[in-house]
Amino acid sequence: MNDNADHSSAMASRLSAGRLFFRITAAFTLAFAGIVLWLVVDQHALLESMDTLQSKTLPSSIEQQRLARNLEVLRLEGERVLEARTPESQRQSMFIVMLMASHPSLLSNEQARNLAIETELFLARAAQNKHIDDSERVEWSRLSQRLSLAADDISVNGVNLAQADIRNMGEIVQQGRHKLHGAMLLVLVFLVFLLLLIRQLILRPLQQIDQALADLKKPSRSVDLPAYALRELAGVRQAIVQLHGMMQEHEQARDDLEKLASTDALTGLNNRRHFMLLAAAELARGQRYGRPISVGLADLDHFKQINDLYGHEAGDMALRAFADLVRDTLRHSDSAARYGGEEFAFIFPETTPHEAIVLAERLRSRLDALVIPIMAGQYVRLTVSFGIADASTQTLEAALRLADDALYQAKRNGRNAVILAATATQAMLPLHDKRDSSS
Amino acid sequence: MHQPMLALLYRLARYGLLTALLAGSALASSEKEFRVAVIGSSPPMSYIDENGKLTGFNIEMGHALCEAMQTRCDFQLVPLGKVVDTVAAGEMDFAVVSLLATPERRKKVLFSKPYYRSLSIWLGKPELPPGSPKATAAAVTGSAQARYLETVGWKMHAVASHTEIPAALAAGKANAAVVPMLTALPLLHDDSVRSLGLESTILSDPLLTGDVCISINPKRVDLVERINSAIDQIKRDGRFDRINTKFLPFRLQ
Repeated sequence: MNDNADHSSAMASRLSAGRLFFRITAAFTLAFAGIVLWLVVDQHALLESMDTLQSKTLPSSIEQQRLARNLEVLRLEGERVLEARTPESQRQSMFIVMLMASHPSLLSNEQARNLAIETELFLARAAQNKHIDDSERVEWSRLSQRLSLAADDISVNGVNLAQADIRNMGEIVQQGRHKLHGAMLLVLVFLVFLLLLIRQLILRPLQQIDQALADLKKPSRSVDLPAYALRELAGVRQAIVQLHGMMQEHEQARDDLEKLASTDALTGLNNRRHFMLLAAAELARGQRYGRPISVGLADLDHFKQINDLYGHEAGDMALRAFADLVRDTLRHSDSAARYGGEEFAFIFPETTPHEAIVLAERLRSRLDALVIPIMAGQYVRLTVSFGIADASTQTLEAALRLADDALYQAKRNGRNAVILAATATQAMLPLHDKRDSSS
Repeated sequence: MHQPMLALLYRLARYGLLTALLAGSALASSEKEFRVAVIGSSPPMSYIDENGKLTGFNIEMGHALCEAMQTRCDFQLVPLGKVVDTVAAGEMDFAVVSLLATPERRKKVLFSKPYYRSLSIWLGKPELPPGSPKATAAAVTGSAQARYLETVGWKMHAVASHTEIPAALAAGKANAAVVPMLTALPLLHDDSVRSLGLESTILSDPLLTGDVCISINPKRVDLVERINSAIDQIKRDGRFDRINTKFLPFRLQ
């Protein structure tokens, strides 16, 4: 309950992938829109500049050209005034000089106005004289040159007017280019950032999760996954940890069940069913490779008396004591099982019947020497009878039947003994012999 | 069999296309042609040349404006004295006549932006300066100059057009004239006027100087902007200056 609350609060503090990417995208969109807006403002300024150039600067530039042209007209008409043959033509030229010098457009330009007034005054004075002397000619040529220069200046000024606008537009375009580069850089940085983020927050965790899922099949103590920043992946990690826990539990349960199914609860030795499986497998292996293998059956002598005298609890203790002795005495490769009430079965792989007899004899003598405590201050002693049979050339059932026969023989011979069963054919012979002899 | 069928189809398609094109162009020029008032007998602005063709600075500029506005124009001759009233009454869409934009005229018609600035000239013998009581000044009826003479109360001999002024001077009906600056140019070249030995004086009264504009039908407010941009356009693309050079010795400004 508490654990769950902790877990959910931890989950709440984590970011969901959707929200994270929404936030990143929103931030990027805002930044990009800002730059685009900035560019739009620039573009607007550019259009405005172009409009100014078209509607104001260019017309006034052309007006300057017209003004310059009129100064040239003034100069030409001045020449005509000085060179005129007749008073009429002089008067006509003088009229245009006067018009030029009085026209508001020319008067609005200071340089042109001063020069035009000076020219008009000079020409009016010169026109009154019948003869034009050398000093007047020199003055006129100076004036004429100044008119030409003023025309040049005004003309160039007119062109320069447009240049200022064009320079301004150039600057805006240049700035726009910088901003565009900025926008492209922003997009690039965002993409790289996004890729890194995806790699860090999604791809790598996914690989780890994939690995962890693959590792689930292998037995391991814990899931090796770091904590994840994204809520969804943290959820997946949590699920994997839980799944792993459940699998571990199932594994344990299965192991327990298996043990339960194969073990005798009282003695901890194999039960009969499991022994048969083990023995059959050992037998098949030994026979396939032609190896020696032996089986044995043992029965505790007069066990019923212990039950009768001291009760079942004492009987159980005696059985457990014998089982402990079996575990203590036999080799690791040997298998023992509780075959029935006080009956035990053995399989000795890689062991000839004679070697098996040595083992069984050791077990028998140790039990014979053993004092088994059953209750406070009370002890019992037990003996065991053994039948050993060779299992390298026959079926398990046949070998066990032979061992059982040998066990029976041991019992008959007075118990507390180990008897080796004759081979199937040999066994048949004494039986026959016995029958023959008895008959 | 197939060949004539195809030819028929082709012809049908072509006629169909032609009809569509005609309909399209008819739609595009759904606007009627403009009626444009101009005056005659006023060289160098508008006059009939030796070939009998109506020409002059204002006439050619009128054509250029109509071209810039992409419309056809029907030029109609109107006496100067009636130009303002004709345009004011909506009988004409606009007038390409060099009218000074006086406050009096502004009450009747719309004016475009100025296309140049003008001065008025007093032409008279040296002993008859402007305003001399012995002077009788010729002026064209309906002109700003005639209006000025009336206003200041100088003696005036009214004529119908500028081309009548030399005759009036020669006949002694007038011994002076008040004319716009551009009209003064051909007058001074006129043989009969030249022999009179007239001197020119610039009259600087505000009634006689200032912006020269195109007058527009007061009901066609939309035309003002169109004509203004047309003026801008022909001033920008050099058409205005070419016409200027063709008819006048200096640049109009």
